[in-house]
Amino acid sequence: MPTGPGMVAGGAGTLALAAAVVGSAFVYEMGAVRISVQSKKPGGEHIRLVVPAVAAPIAMQFAPKRDLQRAVEDAGPYLPAIKIALEELAKCPDGPFVQVTSPHEKVNISKQGDALVIDVDDEGETVHISVPLKAAGVVVAQLESIPPPGRGEQAASAEGPAL
Amino acid sequence: MKRIILGLAIILMTSTAAVAIDRWVHIKVEDGGADGEIVRVNVPLSLAEKVLPAINTKELRGGKVKCEETKIEDVDLRAILEAVRTAPDNEFVTVESKRNHVRVAKSAGHLLVKVREGNATEKEQQETVDVSIPFPVIDALLSGAKDELDVLAAVRALSTIGDTVLVTVDDRNSKVRIWVDSRNTTE
Repeated sequence: MPTGPGMVAGGAGTLALAAAVVGSAFVYEMGAVRISVQSKKPGGEHIRLVVPAVAAPIAMQFAPKRDLQRAVEDAGPYLPAIKIALEELAKCPDGPFVQVTSPHEKVNISKQGDALVIDVDDEGETVHISVPLKAAGVVVAQLESIPPPGRGEQAASAEGPAL
Repeated sequence: MKRIILGLAIILMTSTAAVAIDRWVHIKVEDGGADGEIVRVNVPLSLAEKVLPAINTKELRGGKVKCEETKIEDVDLRAILEAVRTAPDNEFVTVESKRNHVRVAKSAGHLLVKVREGNATEKEQQETVDVSIPFPVIDALLSGAKDELDVLAAVRALSTIGDTVLVTVDDRNSKVRIWVDSRNTTE
């Protein structure tokens, strides 16, 4: 039976592997936000962006607090409803929810698998956005936990100045 | 009108939930203008049923809309609807003029409102509105306190009735259709 530094290194390696497996499983479970913007101009760009959905709640940590508070203030009364809607949408069969068709553009908001998909096709570009419902739910839950403007500052001032 | 309906649909979507995903409310708006825009919205009633109680605004709370009073110019709508509900099938109101034809009737468990506006000889100039609401839905809507409309109960009632067309509006500029069925698409 190995002892000493070899055992410690082996244990650390196993832990790192386990963490990587669990982390990968979590990232896979959350899915990915996919954004595609294809310009219709001659030689126009095609931008593709695939971001692991797990990054969205992390990115929120770096967003300006005041902007997040403003968003919460605006959407506050609807956040619980949006959260429930996302949960319930996951149970709905795939299909279109909103379709707008005109000679100039087509907009389609639908559910495809575990994702809410937004497709816009207008004269200038084609946009495709796919957001995993689970990840959207996590973001909404995180928004719900943000105190409205004033409350955080009041609590901070009540505690006295930071040292 | 289109924006109001789209907004209403989005509120329903974001303020409802799913029981059994088998009944859908559909809204289709066709703009007759130069753009010829068509908007289609499909919302599972079960989704609305779950989301509505979660919306708490000044006007809508716990799936109920607060009304100061359901009286319009001293006409008690609640009392009238109750009287109509208990009456046998009949035509209750008919208003006919050169330009307008309004008919309110009860038929096969539905409250029917038909409005024809414009010159009947020029069909293209005519505006028509047809509303057909099943009485269980009206009962549910009025099941709360006197000063409120129970939208949640109405949605629940709507999910128990068969396929039905609720509203059809056809005028020079647009066509609107609201109906309930078991399909998750408008076509």
